[in-house]
Amino acid sequence: MLVPDGGSSSAPTAVTPPVVSLVLTGRNDGYGGDFIARFFRSLRFNHQQLTARGIAYELVFVEWAPPSDARLIRDQIFDALPELDVAVCSWYVVDSRYQEVLSLNPRLQYLEFPAKNVGVRRARGRFVLTSNCDVYFGRRIFDALAAGTLEPRVLYRAPRHDLTLPAERAPLDWSVLEDPRNLAGPAHVLKPPYMGSATGDFVLLDRESFHEIGGFNEVYRVARIGIDRNILVKALSSGLRIAAIGGPVYHENHEGSYRLNPAAYAGRETEAPWGDRRWHSGGVSYVNPPTWGLSEAPVREIDDRVWYLDFSWAAMPQLVDLMRIVLPVARPGGPAPGHYVRKR
Amino acid sequence: MRRFIAAFLALFGLVSSRRYEALSRSLDDLKAAGAESKKKASQAIAQQRSLESELRRQSQLVAKLRGSLEKWKHYHDNVKVLRDRLAETEHELMVARDHLMAIEVKLDILEGAANVLDRRTRITTPQDQHESSARA
Repeated sequence: MLVPDGGSSSAPTAVTPPVVSLVLTGRNDGYGGDFIARFFRSLRFNHQQLTARGIAYELVFVEWAPPSDARLIRDQIFDALPELDVAVCSWYVVDSRYQEVLSLNPRLQYLEFPAKNVGVRRARGRFVLTSNCDVYFGRRIFDALAAGTLEPRVLYRAPRHDLTLPAERAPLDWSVLEDPRNLAGPAHVLKPPYMGSATGDFVLLDRESFHEIGGFNEVYRVARIGIDRNILVKALSSGLRIAAIGGPVYHENHEGSYRLNPAAYAGRETEAPWGDRRWHSGGVSYVNPPTWGLSEAPVREIDDRVWYLDFSWAAMPQLVDLMRIVLPVARPGGPAPGHYVRKR
Repeated sequence: MRRFIAAFLALFGLVSSRRYEALSRSLDDLKAAGAESKKKASQAIAQQRSLESELRRQSQLVAKLRGSLEKWKHYHDNVKVLRDRLAETEHELMVARDHLMAIEVKLDILEGAANVLDRRTRITTPQDQHESSARA
């Protein structure tokens, strides 16, 4: 079950869909230190830019497996961002048992991509943009959304610029984001054909294509790292094109980030909290079950535009479904699918 | 008069001393020329023999090269076959690696599932239940 005005509802909605659904996920667990402050800061900026350009958007937030002893983010956000309109927010709170039961790796504390799939599956926008809670979109992204020049069947990517921002929590503007002195390191460059690198921070695709490929891989629930790259393999294998949108996103560095120390678990990769980064994310594709995004989860509205996904075994995919891991299709003119990397 | 005397002497097989000397010089010249010709003929014969020998050697070389050429042609054909086989093997290797990747990913999933089920079993099955079952 999705939601009353959910995208896959059999009754077409009379409401004009927004241009873009911004799908984010998080919870009030202090991830990376002061998670909520970073989230509110970036959301305020992105909301201001979207609103200033008159871009009709929807915020789809998935509050995944929230801790029972902490306030929901939903209960704080409108106090922190009074300018945010409740009507543009679709909030999904997911029962924590899904995290527990879906996980195939106890070290993964947060199944980021099944969580994002909950949002993608229910997003109503013509385009769906999945990102992270501490990402500021660059002006080329807002320009592209405002211009209405985005094409269907093209997965848009943006390189990430990691920033070390001032400690004070003043509102950010372009002068801070675009100041090269704030760059924490060399700016990432997207390399064809996959245009990978920090993919989780920016995947923009038309809703229909996102549904066609079935969202992010939720068959391989052993790692969090590489699932974002894996969607690029799936996209190419499905005949979609991958293109750079033309400008960067900005990411605020924080403690615990994989980016800050990707080799922290070198030699003991299986112990990493993001899973073993050496898995063949660039070499295999997937076919998610039809119930991807917990589409069969019982949903009840607990507040204005806040839905709670109750736990149900009926909504759960099989624990193991090996036939859903497949080899990517090589397409004429496309890249060879994957390169073998020895793991063991 | 001189011509008459010469003709008269010639009746007796005689010539003038001057004529005799001239003829002697001519004879010497002819002898020398003959010797030279003989020498050149000998040299030509020697050269002919040398050339014949060289011809034989070159003919042998040509025959040998023809043999080598055949070998090279055969080798070239073999190389072509080997190259085709190499390309085929490379393709098969690539396919095998693709399958290996998929298998390793599936093994990851199986291993993860096994670990998860192991944990769940340990949590849901109390220690004393094992012991009482063992005693029964």
